[in-house]
Amino acid sequence: MREKLSALVDGELRSSDLHTHLVRLRTDLELRGAWSTYHLIGDALRGHFGPEIIDRVVERLRDEPTLVAPRSVPFKRLSWYAMSAAAGFAAVVLVVWTASPIWNAPEISGSSVASGATGTAGSVTILAPGAPSAEAKPPVTSAEVENYLLAHHPFSPTSAMQGIAPYARTVAAGRGTERK
Amino acid sequence: MMPPLASRLLGPLRVLPFLLPVSAALAQTDTSALQWLQRIYAATQKLSYTGVFVYQQGQQVETSRITHVVEASGPRERLETLDGTPREIIRTRDQVVCYLPASMTVKIDKQSGTRMFPAILPERLKELSENYNIRKGDVERVGGYDCQVIILEPRDRMRYGHRLWADLNTGMLLKAKTFDEKNEMLEQFSFTQLQIGGAIGREQLKARFSRASRDWRVEDSGAIRANLAEAGWTIRSSPPGFRTVTELLRTLGGTSGVGHIVLSDGLAAVSVFIQPAKSKQAASQPGLVRQGAINVYMRPVGDHWITVVGEAPPESVKYIADAVEYRK
Repeated sequence: MREKLSALVDGELRSSDLHTHLVRLRTDLELRGAWSTYHLIGDALRGHFGPEIIDRVVERLRDEPTLVAPRSVPFKRLSWYAMSAAAGFAAVVLVVWTASPIWNAPEISGSSVASGATGTAGSVTILAPGAPSAEAKPPVTSAEVENYLLAHHPFSPTSAMQGIAPYARTVAAGRGTERK
Repeated sequence: MMPPLASRLLGPLRVLPFLLPVSAALAQTDTSALQWLQRIYAATQKLSYTGVFVYQQGQQVETSRITHVVEASGPRERLETLDGTPREIIRTRDQVVCYLPASMTVKIDKQSGTRMFPAILPERLKELSENYNIRKGDVERVGGYDCQVIILEPRDRMRYGHRLWADLNTGMLLKAKTFDEKNEMLEQFSFTQLQIGGAIGREQLKARFSRASRDWRVEDSGAIRANLAEAGWTIRSSPPGFRTVTELLRTLGGTSGVGHIVLSDGLAAVSVFIQPAKSKQAASQPGLVRQGAINVYMRPVGDHWITVVGEAPPESVKYIADAVEYRK
């Protein structure tokens, strides 16, 4: 039906169909809403926005409350450093052990010295140096991280000192899935 | 290429803190600070309280209401989120129930025969001071309460540092911050409003979704104690100060028979999950996910994936993940 409506908006409907659809349009509220939306989209695409619409948008924006309170930020909850990142942090171990100033290292790296010192430096030889990559696909979703955290927290001594509070982390991890 | 001189000279020094004799390590720890930790633990178990609580990591802030009441049958605790989609967690002595209305799911974690929520016992405290330098800080005000600051500095880079604020009168923990090795804050838990003791209505502890959730999907962890070494899974070596605390088999996100090994240094805990690889993971690479003080490192071992989750630095979780072996 929506396809037909689109054709109607574009004036491509055959006259035999035209009558039936005009009747539907008159009676079907949802379809009428879609009809005006399609026209609006068409206008926007063609750049035909009347000054009254622009004025209305500006007015609405003016009335929107300004938020000064801290708000949950829906993005960047879980940062993913895939192998290239792990390689990055291994590469840094390499960097730290061989030469080159530490401050050139990617962010995660600063802490890699310890892994070098405690014996994981062996992995350096296997991993190719690379920069942390946010695009690489993690084998884990936020929902799965939430499950892991739920399973993990009962055993953490911090739970013994903080009670139920650390479960807020679980909630925070779960948010990632909700907003997808 | 040769390592620079400084690195060669200082390299071995980085390992030194592990080698410090325990007595020397203990000498640096203020015993009254240790007593404070025990006081905090006792307060968490014994006090009844209700308040508004903020969890912050990076730019993310989550506000919740937390109520804890000690009843004849034991403690009962409830966390209800105040931001975004409602979520609710109810914790009793041996069970955690999590209500997720958005996905109409109830997650139940019940552990029979295992001690959930480890106690901070005196012998564990001694262990703790081998891994952290623990001392008292100033008295600072949090949420209207005068609090004693307790500082836990890690003795090496395999664990994070902590700063705790505990009420002078009751020992109740009002605020906790975790720091990385650069002393940058990773996350913070803090009560912004808190009532300790007094009348706390029973309805404050009621699961709001218990009725609505009757026809929701139920995910039960069905966790049981297990000997994973017998099944062939072992951890070759763990970072200094960490030791295996418990081993379980559980259902996780619909997958049954997931191995779960918990390691702890007395304060931080790291969980190792062992599960058969999913098809979508076939093309995945090992890697690290972090949220606040939690790091998650995953890597494949044969046709299994090892997931290591804990409130410990990336090198700790990676160290443990790399040490997981299968031998049959």
